[in-house]
Amino acid sequence: MIHNAQLIKQGAEAKVYLAPFCQRQAIIKERFAKAYRHPTLDKKLTSRRVIQEARCLNRCQKAFIDTPTVYLVDVDSSLIYMEFIEGCSVRDYLTTDDGHLPEAQAKVAKEIGTALGKMHNIDVVHGDLTTSNLMMRKESGSLVLIDFGLSYVSNLIEDKAVDLYVLERAFTSTHPNTEVMFAQILEAYGQNSKASKLILKKLEDVRMRGRKRSMLG
Amino acid sequence: MESFPIDTLPQAGYIHMACFISVKNAADLKERLQIQDKSLTFAMVQSSLIMDVFQLLVAATRSAQDNDAGKLKTQTLSSEIVYNLSPTNNIAESLRRFSIDETTKSLVAIKIGGEADQVLEEMSNTIDGNLVSFSKLDQEKDMIKLRKYYKIDPKVTDDTAILNWIIGAIAMKNIQ
Ligand SMILES: Nc1ncnc2c1ncn2[C@@H]1O[C@H](COP(=O)(O)OP(=O)(O)OP(=O)(O)O)[C@@H](O)[C@H]1O
Repeated sequence: MIHNAQLIKQGAEAKVYLAPFCQRQAIIKERFAKAYRHPTLDKKLTSRRVIQEARCLNRCQKAFIDTPTVYLVDVDSSLIYMEFIEGCSVRDYLTTDDGHLPEAQAKVAKEIGTALGKMHNIDVVHGDLTTSNLMMRKESGSLVLIDFGLSYVSNLIEDKAVDLYVLERAFTSTHPNTEVMFAQILEAYGQNSKASKLILKKLEDVRMRGRKRSMLG
Repeated sequence: MESFPIDTLPQAGYIHMACFISVKNAADLKERLQIQDKSLTFAMVQSSLIMDVFQLLVAATRSAQDNDAGKLKTQTLSSEIVYNLSPTNNIAESLRRFSIDETTKSLVAIKIGGEADQVLEEMSNTIDGNLVSFSKLDQEKDMIKLRKYYKIDPKVTDDTAILNWIIGAIAMKNIQ
């Protein structure tokens, strides 16, 4: 089915390959069913997720948010063929010498906040914001959002606030001493998101709930 | 002519394409398409609507896959390639826009499968025009129509972004 493909990630719900496609290198994401569900229902849910992921990617592209271009969607085989982003993840970048510089972090933070603001403006909620799912193009340095496998369309303030909270948790757990950087992300987000006041206020509530939950263990 | 493997379906053979300019028999070709002349075994599309070879390859690859799955939306694999270049599901409109018409002067002929030599001979014997390299495609683009058909935002201006927009639009056509 996928020829000359190189498996680059085997996840719980998807396999990600790098493979030749129409004279280019492309990322092929294959979603598979979780074994414990009902087979027919499973097929339906998997198809729906594939479609949702492709649609959210395309919706972002059309709103000038840098995301991998979708090349082809094979719903029957649960495959999405998409642009291969050459570059490194923000996660890896933050561990490099350059990535430790405050100026470099400020620049990336601004791009992240801007991209997320624009994404929420079109009611796309990413659902899995981590520093691995933020990439930087090798050529231009442009910030790219990837992995829309859990994304959905929602206009709820709460959903957007949780989206930011998930990223905040990812920052604090993976990257020590990046509080300043995360604050810069929120600042850029505030300047670019239409409902940022409400969302950022909600983020504080979400944080509170998170703290309470972790205090209860 | 150039031939490209179908990465997702190697057993379907190659995608062969050739670019022709100064075509003189478009009216005749169009007529043969209309009466569904079976001896015409390749697709012909307007060069002016091709931004990049990649666009053709994606449409052809998808057509080969749908053919393999027995899921063609149109009559033939050839018409399917033309249909798949279009971002909409309206078959008549897609074919009208992307296929050749009586006045076409520049076209790209595409065929999936077959021997390269034979395909080229067949195309050259059928199309009365000059075979040119794909680098000539650049001069044929009709940006006004491309923008209209693919609903490209006026703010998108650089070629890579335009191509990405087009590919994205084609990719979404079955899951709009
Ligand atoms: N378009 C892309 N360009 C470059 N690398 C990519 C691209 N998409 C994915 N990757 C790489 O593959 C890894 C896994 O991809 P992704 O995060 O989409 O899959 P996943 O986490 O298994 O999916 P999901 O969260 O939907 O279950 C990414 O962290 C990244 O390194």
